[in-house]
Amino acid sequence: MLEIRDLHAAVAGEPILKGLNLTVNAGEVHAIMGPNGSGKSTLANVLAGKDNYEITGGDALFEGKSLADMEPEERAQLGLFLAFQYPVEIPGVSNMEFLKAALEATRKAQGKEEWDSVTLLRKARETCKLVDLDPQFLKRGVNEGFSGGEKKRNEIMQMLLMEPKLALLDETDSGLDIDALQTVARGVNSLRSPERGIVLVTHYQRLLDYIVPDFVHVLSDGQIVKSGGKELAHELEQHGYGWLTGDRNDGKDQSA
Amino acid sequence: MSALLSPEDLKRQALANAQDATESKAESPALAALRDNSLAALKAAVFPGRKTEQWKYTSLQPLADGHLNRRAAAAATPADLPKLGDYRLVLVNGRLDESTSALPDGVTLKREASRLEGLTTPFALYNGAALDDAITLEVAANTDVAGPVQVIHYADGDQPAHCNTRLEVVLDTGSRMTLIEQYLGRGPVLTNAVTAIETRDNAHLSHYRLQSEARDSLHIGTLLFRQTGVSRVDSYQLMAGSRLRRNDVRAFIDKSGAELNMNGIFVARDRTHIDNQLCVEHRVPDCTSNQVYRGLAGEKGKAILNGRIHIHPGASGTLAELSNKNLLLNPGAEIYTKPELEIYNDDVKCAHGATVGQLDAGQQFYLQARGVPLAEAKRLLSLGFVNELVMGLPDQTVADWAQPWLAGELGQSRGADEEAA
Repeated sequence: MLEIRDLHAAVAGEPILKGLNLTVNAGEVHAIMGPNGSGKSTLANVLAGKDNYEITGGDALFEGKSLADMEPEERAQLGLFLAFQYPVEIPGVSNMEFLKAALEATRKAQGKEEWDSVTLLRKARETCKLVDLDPQFLKRGVNEGFSGGEKKRNEIMQMLLMEPKLALLDETDSGLDIDALQTVARGVNSLRSPERGIVLVTHYQRLLDYIVPDFVHVLSDGQIVKSGGKELAHELEQHGYGWLTGDRNDGKDQSA
Repeated sequence: MSALLSPEDLKRQALANAQDATESKAESPALAALRDNSLAALKAAVFPGRKTEQWKYTSLQPLADGHLNRRAAAAATPADLPKLGDYRLVLVNGRLDESTSALPDGVTLKREASRLEGLTTPFALYNGAALDDAITLEVAANTDVAGPVQVIHYADGDQPAHCNTRLEVVLDTGSRMTLIEQYLGRGPVLTNAVTAIETRDNAHLSHYRLQSEARDSLHIGTLLFRQTGVSRVDSYQLMAGSRLRRNDVRAFIDKSGAELNMNGIFVARDRTHIDNQLCVEHRVPDCTSNQVYRGLAGEKGKAILNGRIHIHPGASGTLAELSNKNLLLNPGAEIYTKPELEIYNDDVKCAHGATVGQLDAGQQFYLQARGVPLAEAKRLLSLGFVNELVMGLPDQTVADWAQPWLAGELGQSRGADEEAA
């Protein structure tokens, strides 16, 4: 589903990803962990196609197609979804209008049946309830004046409605209290299916208590330095990242 | 190409028409007096040219097509005009369609016009000097008018021509009314419009001014508020660009304690043009004015706002604010905004802010990341920019009408459609 080969990427000219390899198959849940500045969010933004995030080497294939030359909307239409670390506020555009535009564009591109406004409203209301979001939020400006937790739940609500093939969650757990974390986890878990891949980018092991991953990867200085099963997250929780990244830095010092 | 049009040419055309009009018989003595007085003032007036400061960004060259040489002929009222109020008056090319003149209790209609003070621009004077017809609405004291009154000014013609259209309104002591002025039309007609509104003590006016005539039309309009009493005026002005649109809005706040709120949205897409010249005169102490305008220009559209706040020496305790945020959709579009504060009193509180910005890249990416194509993302964000004000309109019927209209204005460029056709 997602195949990343020796990916190099730069943000505003500065190299951040330095030869990253990762394969995500349908039905798998991957967690990408790592210290601040290791390139986790860069990876998410590069895959989604944000401006100024430039692929400088290697490739990332989604459903066999290179993401490098695709506009962000084409990626989304193919079924890639990024849950933002910092969801954007859009005053004057209601959440409902936003969802309508998003679902019209993606469902049409994916050859799915288009929803009329009544269907869309009903589904949006139902989905709001799943993530404990008051349906009144549908009438408000996108994320306008939402609390941190409400913004994250709004991301999950969008994700559930859009039914992506591959969901990338960029630090969706940051800033959430324990109740909101469980709500978000419940939403993500309900999306798990044999046809769908999920990539969780996170700092902390906490989220992984609720969304149990099949694979855990540690990202450091733009590369994946260790991969393992869910138990790797517990090791990281106990020992920190030092034992992984430290080793690597030592090696660097020796070669220098 | 049409020949270059000078201010002297314009004046010659205006005077010739006005003299014809004053020689024809006047239906009402008040209208006859207004014509004579306006004509006298028009003779002394100077029409704007390229060097006139207040016309710096707006050329009257489109009038070289001969708009002022011809008056738009009488025409029938179109069947499908929007109905936004419980009561509706329609003027076609400046003449009242009498079949539309039902009015609520407490509102009297007169076929006349009489106001001159404060109406000093050459086009407003020409309007007064050449009127065929006009309406004055008088709202009786202590009347709470039952429903919104809609006045449609419709311009209709197949060739360049002009019409003079005029509405005067007086809200007497303790009265309340919602007035919806709507300008619509078909064809390359110049609407030369004057609206003059007086509010007396304890009167409250909610005023809408919706302008969406045909894109090849021209509009030169004056809107005058005179708050002679402790009154409140809430005005909402929504405009789409046309070949030439110019609005001179002037407010005299003349009684202590009066409050004026003006809000506006102007959208200039393709090659359309909108010029707003606002002037608020604070002449007495302890009055409040608050102005919030949002402008948007795209393709080769051009929008101008000049917001003058004039605080006279006696006007201590004035609170005056003006905000104008603008959005430029692409490099070919132009926006000129200038707050102009003239303050002759130290005991006042004035604030002004004017910005010109572009669509936010982060918001565009957020929409794109949800599968929305860039062009549609831009359209949604532009609409969102003006929607914040539209959602604040107190009259739901107007808001419901304005939303799809503005969505259309912000949709695919009509110029592009025409080029494709």
